[in-house]
Amino acid sequence: MSFMGDEYGKRTLDFVQRIQGLTNYEEICPVIMQELAWFGFSCVTSFSIPGPGCHLKDSIWLNNRPAEYVDRYAEKNYVIHDPVLKELRRTMNPYSWGDIREGRDLKKSERTIIDEGREFGAYDGLVIPIVNLTGSISLFSPCGRDPDLSPRARAALEVIGIYSHHALTRALVRRQREEVVHTPLTPREREIMQWVAIGKTDEEIAGILSISMTTVTSHVENAKQKLDAFRRTYAVVQAIRLGEISL
Amino acid sequence: MVIILNGSERRKHPDHFERLFRLRYRVFVKQRGWSLPAMNNREIDQYDDDDAVYFLDLDDEENIQGTVRMTPTVKSSLLADYFPHLVESGHSPRSQRIYEATRYIVLPSQKSREALRLAKGRLLTVLLEWCLDKRLSHLQTVIDAGTLSSFVEITQQTMPLGLPHPYGGGRGTPGGGECMAFRWPISLQVLDDVRAYAGLAGPMSRFGEFGRPDRGSPRAPLH
Repeated sequence: MSFMGDEYGKRTLDFVQRIQGLTNYEEICPVIMQELAWFGFSCVTSFSIPGPGCHLKDSIWLNNRPAEYVDRYAEKNYVIHDPVLKELRRTMNPYSWGDIREGRDLKKSERTIIDEGREFGAYDGLVIPIVNLTGSISLFSPCGRDPDLSPRARAALEVIGIYSHHALTRALVRRQREEVVHTPLTPREREIMQWVAIGKTDEEIAGILSISMTTVTSHVENAKQKLDAFRRTYAVVQAIRLGEISL
Repeated sequence: MVIILNGSERRKHPDHFERLFRLRYRVFVKQRGWSLPAMNNREIDQYDDDDAVYFLDLDDEENIQGTVRMTPTVKSSLLADYFPHLVESGHSPRSQRIYEATRYIVLPSQKSREALRLAKGRLLTVLLEWCLDKRLSHLQTVIDAGTLSSFVEITQQTMPLGLPHPYGGGRGTPGGGECMAFRWPISLQVLDDVRAYAGLAGPMSRFGEFGRPDRGSPRAPLH
């Protein structure tokens, strides 16, 4: 297989492959930032438009715009007045801040919101709207001093934004699930899982502990349930991850 | 219920095909304004031959709630024939083990987001089960770039073949839209992802023995 496209296509397909292999939030973020840097973006905010009663700050998936800027943005409720976001009422296709500045007659207050990005060196940016399967809308929005916003770059960034958004939300949902407190194992279950971890069958464990095999099986089944595992292999992985047993 | 019809069975199931071609005319020619060959309110093209395979999700009155057409890329590939520039990865758009999905419609009788998800889930699940049974390596398709996210959300395995490219506009896309191509590997992982999206625990079709937790590998093909 030989690659036929230009640098934009090549980089983007490489990026997609790299990000598909990552599940850790901490690993995903630098890969995204590094890719955006190639296009001349220094900052990115990836967030979902908050639903009624929800706060913007709770629906940010990745952000490295300065905290003061984000605080002020949230405090002044710019999310409602920002002309860059208002554009979402007209289109779900990607657009740049420059498209809005040039294409629309902006009020002074609206221009101010865009211009405040200059405080941290962001003169232009791209907004990539993403409609989620639940119907909610998310934005992937990188910005920088003089980013590449050529048609090919925009096409590449649309793909990069979509994959980044889904990788980030997947990783965060996964982490949340793992943080859910599990019911701790009993000492006996822990002891038995320790034997399971080194590959003993229920029958062997029964022999070692001088108890019946049905008792062992029932302990293992209880442990599996507590560890949210269908199979014993995964139960062992979970038990190690949650610190119930060690190797 | 999702039924699977071969292109060679057109005479055997005239009613289903009549409804299908009329629906396609309504959706693609009338609503989306694509310039496609159409006759007597039916949309039929050169890929509707004996080798095409049709997936039809029917409601109780046998109305089509969802449909997709699969064609063997060795012979019939929209991507290879009309959109070769969408493939930037260097992969060949034609292969014995790759089928192409076209004429994809999901239009549940009941209009709600939930009904849409269920209809889409049913169709894609049977499609994947069939692909596994055929021992395909991939399915590929050309999509409107705006819908990429919905496929990536269903499965992370969605592989773009290139970047979005502009295409000429029909009525629905003034000034043109953007399209791109992607592939799904045919694997138990993707089937699991699709089933999870559809909210299904078990198989949807007679092909659906795959992916049951107690089965390591697909059994021999059924036909």
